[in-house]
Amino acid sequence: MTLAPARAGRQVITALIDEVTVESIATEAWIALVGEDEVLVPLAGDLPAETLSAWVDVVGPWTGSVVLTTGRQTAADLTRALLREAAPELLDHEDVVDAFGEIANVVGGNVKASLPGPSTLGLPQVGAAPAVRNPEDVCRLGVLWRGQPLVVSVQGALPPLPSPHTPNENPHQNGASL
Amino acid sequence: MRALVIDDSRAMRRIVSAALEGFGYETRQAGHGREALDVLQEGYGPDLCTIDWNMPVMDGLQFVSAVRANPAWRTVTLMMVTSESEQSQIVRALAAGAHEYVIKPFTADALRDKLALLGMLPQEAVL
Amino acid sequence: MTLPATSFDWVRQLVHRESAIVLAPGKEYLVEARLLPIARSMGLPDVGQLVDSVRTRPSPESTRKIVEALTTNETSWFRDGDPFTALSSTVLPSLLSARGPAERLHIWSAACSSGQEPYTIAMLLEDALPNASTRVAITATDLSREMVERTRAGRFSQLEVNRGLPAAMLVRHFTRAGTEWEVAPSLRRMVTASECNLAAPLPRMGPFDVVYLRNVLIYFDLPTKQAILRRVRALMRPDGWLFLGAAETTLGVDDSWERVVVGRSSAYRPLKGN
Repeated sequence: MTLAPARAGRQVITALIDEVTVESIATEAWIALVGEDEVLVPLAGDLPAETLSAWVDVVGPWTGSVVLTTGRQTAADLTRALLREAAPELLDHEDVVDAFGEIANVVGGNVKASLPGPSTLGLPQVGAAPAVRNPEDVCRLGVLWRGQPLVVSVQGALPPLPSPHTPNENPHQNGASL
Repeated sequence: MRALVIDDSRAMRRIVSAALEGFGYETRQAGHGREALDVLQEGYGPDLCTIDWNMPVMDGLQFVSAVRANPAWRTVTLMMVTSESEQSQIVRALAAGAHEYVIKPFTADALRDKLALLGMLPQEAVL
Repeated sequence: MTLPATSFDWVRQLVHRESAIVLAPGKEYLVEARLLPIARSMGLPDVGQLVDSVRTRPSPESTRKIVEALTTNETSWFRDGDPFTALSSTVLPSLLSARGPAERLHIWSAACSSGQEPYTIAMLLEDALPNASTRVAITATDLSREMVERTRAGRFSQLEVNRGLPAAMLVRHFTRAGTEWEVAPSLRRMVTASECNLAAPLPRMGPFDVVYLRNVLIYFDLPTKQAILRRVRALMRPDGWLFLGAAETTLGVDDSWERVVVGRSSAYRPLKGN
């Protein structure tokens, strides 16, 4: 009986990036986009029941999504902070989708550049966060912005690989690279 | 001076436009490369285009190549403003004909510094 | 731990006087966030006490720290690029023709901060000279140990490389390392960084062909300005070039310099016989 050969080229995100890196990317995005005195405090808080997520997909040697999740009200506050004087008196949902999506794009683009490439970046999407496919393939950072919780999650899109210690269930599958 | 601000995010279009207007530019906006080409074809002659990379319909790199392929638009300065930030991507954009490259996130100061490098600040901005 | 209004007003006036930058009302939070590390490094619990301490015992060193902490976003590469254009267009050709082919040029960046100025000079020289790293030595000094260490490391954040560094130079002279950008080893080899207090007797260095002493004199009173210029002059070659900040001059401070116009910039050269 032989073990399935280790599959080169598919690493989980925790082997490629750490929370400190994600935090420094998010911090720079906040200083530049939201305001120079807008700090992210690296403390995880409990998200409220009503949340909104914005994410971009990264496709390459590592494939997954960079997801920002926060309370709906916090997403609206972020939109106002981003637009400053240009913010309309009444924000509509489209404003929030657009601005929150753009923040995800900025964070995601810089996360992508810290990962092995070449990779492509998808257009931002906003709604309910994509499901976590592999709990091992997640780098999750919880922060507080103006006291409100926000989560940045860099999460793989692929299910876990079979453990190399279990016997090869498929004799024809010869460790083809993914 | 005139600028065409190309980005699929209207929040980002507003931010870039507001900064450029603060430097003395008159601005127009487009949501993707195809729309921006239409604005150029209808005769709006900008001195500067700021260009996002990832957009629907036509992306920023395709737009840069299209502008560079048309001799009538050779005087337009092309400045990428994008979260694409790998060294190889910057090299690709410069090779396609972009003159400058601003990485998102950026501050208005960063835009002003890059325009100063290009000699494209219409008025000395006040801090 | 809120900042008293009188302390905030004092900081606003200081920053305006020294840098012409206006801190808008409501920026108390920014002042707190930026100055707290300085207060802590001096063993003080908060920014209010830092301000009290500097008000009762003023020193150029703490003044400069405060102003720099509040104006750090002004650090950019080629912003106010005229002194650098002057280097490649005029100063370098003139020095190369005056010196022998084996003679090394010595350049001093006298307030190097986090390293943008010495590396800007190094990039220009590498682009202009085929064998820059053997022809030129750049000495980078700063009062702050932290800044000297940052200069030695030669690593810059994305926000820092976005500030006035031409994209073509970024990709030619830097490599992306994680979220940061690292200057090429050839540039790092050209630059030697060390701590140096310009307001005290200077270590043995030089003699320098070119000195960049920008935005330093503004922090000092007239006698100290005169002493600094005298000490700098003693470390320069007789046909050397001195560049000051755009708002600074030797005129009315020290008359042993000749002001010359170089392109859109001004440089100062030691007057003979002084």
